[in-house]
Amino acid sequence: MNQTSPSRLIGAAVDWVEARTGAIAFIAPLLTHHVPRNAKWWYVFGSATLMFFTIQIVTGVCLATLYAPSAAEAWESLRYIDEQVPFGWMLRALHGWSSNAMVVMMAIHMLQVFLHASYKFPRELNWVTGVFLLFTVLALAFTGQVMRWDQDAYWGLGIGASIADRIPVFGNQVRGLLLGGPIIGGETLSRFFALHVFVLPGAAIGLVGLHLALIMKNGISEMPKPGETVEPATYRERYEKRMEKDGVPFYPDAAQRDMVFCGACLVLLVVLAAVYGPFGPGGQPDPTLIDTNPRPDYPFLWIFGAVSLLPPASETAVMLVAPLVGVLVLVAVPFLSNAGERAPSRRPGMVLIASLAVMAIAALTWEGKTSPWSPVMDGWSALPTPGHFIDGRTPLQVQGANVFQFAQCRNCHSLDGLGGERGPALDAIATRMTPDQLMRQIQQGDGNMPAFGRNLDSAQMTALVSFLTTLRPDFEAPAMIPGAQLPLPVRSMPGEVTTPVAAGTR
Amino acid sequence: MSDPSETRDGNAAPNASGAKPCVNCGCAGKGTGSRVNGDARRGFMFRFGAALLGVGGAIAAVPILGTLLAPARRQASAWVSLGSADAFPAGQTRFATFLNPIRQPTDGDAAKTACWVRCISPGKFQVFAVNCAHLGCPVRWFAQSRLFMCPCHGGAYYEDGSRAAGPPPRGLFEYPWKIDGGNLLIEAGHLPGLEQST
Amino acid sequence: MSVLRVGFIVCAVVMCGASVLSTAACDRLPGRPAVEAVAAEGTAEWTTQVFNTSCRGCHAQGKEGSAVPLMDSEYWRAATDAQVVRAVLEGQGVLMPAFGPAAGGPFTPSQANALASGMRALWGGGLKPSTAISGTVQAGSADRGKSVFETACASCHGSAGSGGSAGSVTDPMYLRLISDQGLWTAVVAGRAALGSPAWNMPMPNRPSGLASAEVADVVAYLSSLRPRSASELKP
Repeated sequence: MNQTSPSRLIGAAVDWVEARTGAIAFIAPLLTHHVPRNAKWWYVFGSATLMFFTIQIVTGVCLATLYAPSAAEAWESLRYIDEQVPFGWMLRALHGWSSNAMVVMMAIHMLQVFLHASYKFPRELNWVTGVFLLFTVLALAFTGQVMRWDQDAYWGLGIGASIADRIPVFGNQVRGLLLGGPIIGGETLSRFFALHVFVLPGAAIGLVGLHLALIMKNGISEMPKPGETVEPATYRERYEKRMEKDGVPFYPDAAQRDMVFCGACLVLLVVLAAVYGPFGPGGQPDPTLIDTNPRPDYPFLWIFGAVSLLPPASETAVMLVAPLVGVLVLVAVPFLSNAGERAPSRRPGMVLIASLAVMAIAALTWEGKTSPWSPVMDGWSALPTPGHFIDGRTPLQVQGANVFQFAQCRNCHSLDGLGGERGPALDAIATRMTPDQLMRQIQQGDGNMPAFGRNLDSAQMTALVSFLTTLRPDFEAPAMIPGAQLPLPVRSMPGEVTTPVAAGTR
Repeated sequence: MSDPSETRDGNAAPNASGAKPCVNCGCAGKGTGSRVNGDARRGFMFRFGAALLGVGGAIAAVPILGTLLAPARRQASAWVSLGSADAFPAGQTRFATFLNPIRQPTDGDAAKTACWVRCISPGKFQVFAVNCAHLGCPVRWFAQSRLFMCPCHGGAYYEDGSRAAGPPPRGLFEYPWKIDGGNLLIEAGHLPGLEQST
Repeated sequence: MSVLRVGFIVCAVVMCGASVLSTAACDRLPGRPAVEAVAAEGTAEWTTQVFNTSCRGCHAQGKEGSAVPLMDSEYWRAATDAQVVRAVLEGQGVLMPAFGPAAGGPFTPSQANALASGMRALWGGGLKPSTAISGTVQAGSADRGKSVFETACASCHGSAGSGGSAGSVTDPMYLRLISDQGLWTAVVAGRAALGSPAWNMPMPNRPSGLASAEVADVVAYLSSLRPRSASELKP
């Protein structure tokens, strides 16, 4: 009784637990192991990824207590979480934003490791487990999108199923396994729920553990210096000597930066979630509501973009083979070169590859976000012909503008920047194409334009072409047949007010 | 374990020479005869246990793999009515919906399915799936330009379902149809897709 | 050292305050999803939504849009609601598609009614349809219409189909794309923003515009010029 001060009690309790678990003996070396002094701020991205993963687990478990993983009720339950459950929307917002943040942090972490060649001996397997983690996290992101069970989720699954369908011989079987049945339905959601909350998080936790154990085993790589090469035979010895000489303990020297960076990330996450709110759910998952415009989540927009920019002939091959090649190449990175220079300045080729990859993904993401290849489905009925293309036109030309809207030309062609971008903007089409060329293009189409010859009668076609020939900026000459000195006799166009004049005479 | 009747001397051969160190205690092979017999028994028990696990596991694997792999099996499609054939005017293409004949109690709205019915002339039809042949997004019919357009990647089809423009590798998927008692029936089931293996 | 400590305490207090505030204000944070409100049929908001996605592409206002501007009051003076409802449901002429259920369109008759009265309320300027002239096409004499055309219309539209400053309205291709009702509405409502006067407004040779019978005659005349089949269209 006389000795029981609080600190003594706590100390005794800690000793009691330590004697039975060895927890401190296990953790202390992890905290105090020596890391390179010059690591500085380069090495915080892995920790931030881990922090976001932790947030995903915590918020994910909370969401699982509220979510109804049934195709008939999932969408309603999300709306309930958003609208009725106290803080429910904030929980969903944190989970959604943290998911995106995790993918971004992971990509930066991977890029840093690639640029510094930290994957070289003896850290080949650190890299390989990291690659597996990347794909696990992307799979979590995709299955997470399915959990929203809205129209984007439904048609996103349809895209997945269509890609599976292209697999030779076993396409239908693979698709069946993916969807858990012959259609996208209740079993599909249950299957993806099992993946999203059991299988993939389990795999991710295991891989994170392995990744961390490998970091402890191999140590954190030192900053690369030009000329300081990795020699597998002597590397470990040199590394250990260096850590003894001028390494610093992980805690607190390196951990302080991790702490500050993770803290800042977390604050940013909370702000993003509070300001921008949760993602979706979008429209009700009823496949008969086809007035929809399915788009994938951010991590997959670049794939969505790539898929639409591929030439149709190569599409199946690329869709099926590219992911395999991607995995193989990423896994193979440390085995292709596990020794030698690590400094980016001595590996310009690798820097070039990384830059190209980043730029390609950024460009494709932008393309996927803006998707200029998609028709504006209600362009014809929502976007009026601008006044300056109507003013001063003949009655026939105004009817031609009517045909332009009526035949849904606007869905793929813009005027004044409004309308589809699938085809070229037509604001100045008359300076590029003669009436005959316009007629031919509309009637016959080409690879990316349907032929309208069967769908428009002669009056509609005449009016449309007559309208299109007025689409040119003032004082700019209309298109002429190349090389012609004088206008060739064009078929007389009823309603044409101006007679063609030779280029440049206006 | 301790039942001596399970010991079979004949199986004790590997360690019977006594020259090698005992695996269990490292006692340099100085074990007695009962030690040798014990090793043999333990080796047998391990193998016996492994065999039991194998048999049990194989039986347990049947339902595990069975349920996991069942969806790979192709299910028969069925005829389903789209209502009176007269509801589809000749020369026009109309939107129609039906409940998928292959459905589960938990499907909810997802069992609803849409299709486009083109009546070429009275009694002559084409029934198209809404799913684009490119990546399955829902195509929409535009009666004015007589085109189907897809909102995802800009695929377009003519009114007979043939590919008009964009990335689709083929025309729209069609359901087999028939007229029965004045009703238009289609054979539906699996999500329409490139079905090379059927 | 003490500066650091004070700074830390200040930071901690600020952050605690921020989190308490944001928790208390959770319902008012900008990220909170708005409870989805679907505009009720017939409200001004609903009318605007429907109009903006389904009608505005052709029927806008002023110079904008290729067909009759519905956001200007001039049309609402010339047409009745029943006429608009019929045009919405059944289409009109060649280029106004039918949006009614019989054509597989999206609007029910009740929605078409709500749309017509909603549009009149928004853009009709509080005016009732004119009683001086019918909204729908009336029978007239093509022969009389020819002389009306030559005196009243030809000064801008050109004599005998030649087209004038305002372009030809006797062009057979033009006439094939516009119905008699379309011609009627074009003459009656005009399109002030583009310089076309309404039927009873001053015209170059007609300071007091046209009489209602003359409108019927001139529409009958233009209708008589419309080719009945493609073979009548000679290049």
